[in-house]
Amino acid sequence: MAPIVQISNLDKYFGRLHVLKNISLDVQPREVVCLIGRSGSGKSTLLRCVNFLEEPSNGSIQVDGVIVESHGRGKEHRQLIHDVRLKTGMVFQEFNLFPHMTVLENVIEGPVTVKGMNRAEAIALGEENLDSVGMLFKKDEYPMRLSGGQKQRVAIARALTMQPRVMLFDEPTSALDPELIGEVLNVMKKVAKDGMTMLVVTHEMGFAREVADRVLVLGEGEIIEDAKPSTLFSKPKDPRTKALIDRYRTGGR
Amino acid sequence: MKTDSTIAHSHTHPTTQAELLIQAQQRKKRGFRMGVGATWGMLLLVLIFLFSGQNILGFQTIKLDGEFMRKNLGFIGSGLGETLLISSSSILLAIFLALLAALGRLSTFPPIYALSTFYVSLIRGTPLYLQIFFFFLALPQLGVNLSGFTAGVFALGLNYGAYMSETFRAGLASVSKGQREAAAAIGMTPGQTMRRVVLPQALRFAIPPMGNDFISMTKDSALVAATGFVHEVMWRAVKVGRAQFNNLEALLMAAIFYWMMTLILTFFQTRLEARLAKGDR
Ligand SMILES: Nc1ncnc2c1ncn2[C@@H]1O[C@H](COP(=O)(O)OP(=O)(O)OP(=O)(O)O)[C@@H](O)[C@H]1O
Ligand SMILES: [Mg+2]
Repeated sequence: MAPIVQISNLDKYFGRLHVLKNISLDVQPREVVCLIGRSGSGKSTLLRCVNFLEEPSNGSIQVDGVIVESHGRGKEHRQLIHDVRLKTGMVFQEFNLFPHMTVLENVIEGPVTVKGMNRAEAIALGEENLDSVGMLFKKDEYPMRLSGGQKQRVAIARALTMQPRVMLFDEPTSALDPELIGEVLNVMKKVAKDGMTMLVVTHEMGFAREVADRVLVLGEGEIIEDAKPSTLFSKPKDPRTKALIDRYRTGGR
Repeated sequence: MKTDSTIAHSHTHPTTQAELLIQAQQRKKRGFRMGVGATWGMLLLVLIFLFSGQNILGFQTIKLDGEFMRKNLGFIGSGLGETLLISSSSILLAIFLALLAALGRLSTFPPIYALSTFYVSLIRGTPLYLQIFFFFLALPQLGVNLSGFTAGVFALGLNYGAYMSETFRAGLASVSKGQREAAAAIGMTPGQTMRRVVLPQALRFAIPPMGNDFISMTKDSALVAATGFVHEVMWRAVKVGRAQFNNLEALLMAAIFYWMMTLILTFFQTRLEARLAKGDR
């Protein structure tokens, strides 16, 4: 099968800081890939390069047949980035819901404004997705009146309503109170079960173990390990992976 | 651990310590407000007494020409419409210019950025009074004749626009980077992001300070009287006051009109602010 996401020879510099070092990675359709690694290892940057929230310094990104090279310029390049963004949905640690819009308005904003979908159709689709994350009952609320877990579920519905091919999650539960993490992870499991291709940066080892098809370990800007969760957690090859897993076991981050 | 023990402790009493504390605080607040209200009332009485014209306990207070005041109350008061009209027109122009200037400050294109900072610097570096006269008196020399009203609106609008651009700039800065990223991630163009996500939030942020600016504007609009051709409150007060040597009465009446207007506008402003504060932000 052709990979739905293909990262080739990706480099990312922030000034002199070499954050991602010649990373190549294929993700197959319907695959769930978890990214773990120490703080500052480049997990977020890698994820954000996929939809060009960060412009890669070198290399190329392919998402569902759309190939975007680094160093691109001009209208054509911008169009390719736009195409990639339509094929990817992103969920942020800080939710980033639009505070001046109701839950439903948040969810249909993309389809209506970006895709030009007619409003009734967008509402039907949006309500369906809100229902699937268990948030339809709050559709007319404003985000500030929701709990963190509810906000994140709405954010997931917002991304899904764009009907992306791939979902990117950047520590979706890290800003949540512990008792609210479960409801968001459950929604993510459901999304995975529905066959979505997912790239998930997370500290939730339970989720990685249970849901991921592959776990990647990032260290100093390189993929230091790439394995099935069962193998990775029981027989980590790299000593850095072992140290990381041990730290999670003892509750550290 | 400390909090746990206090909670457990408080449950054993019918009225908790926290409740008593809140009650005491509310009493204190009420007492303060009553004190302030009473003092305001006293100060008002003193003012009224001062201008009552009575001879009380050998103290002769200021005597006002009641006849003049009754006769001209309507004439001066009928300038309120003009005052509000010129202020509203000017604030609309100011909002438009302030928005352009604030967006210009975000530009990475040097001429646009420069235009914005140049405008703000020039306007803030010169007196409003001068600007009004510039439009009214200096432009005719170049063959541009503006009515007093138009000159006033241009001057006030330009002036307030320069100051308000800072408000909008703060409003734009108040919208977090995450908002722009969320918009970009669903495929919005920079223009769509600005229109649909950033500006609505920035404007909402800017509403309370804009209300304050409007209130100041109603008073600064009095400067336009100097052109002699805008018949708002100040112009009318000066006209009848000078003509009949009753400047004291005329200006006092104008002052009361301005003050009342400010009180009423401030009342609405406070309510609007409260609504925005607990609303859907
Ligand atoms: N916009 C930026 N400008 C400069 N340096 C940056 C920027 N974003 C990230 N970095 C740096 O790049 C490195 C990788 O950051 P990144 O956010 O990708 O790490 P991470 O693995 O997601 O860490 P965390 O677990 O803390 O989220 C860090 O050293 C960080 O300081
Ligand atoms: Mg991160």
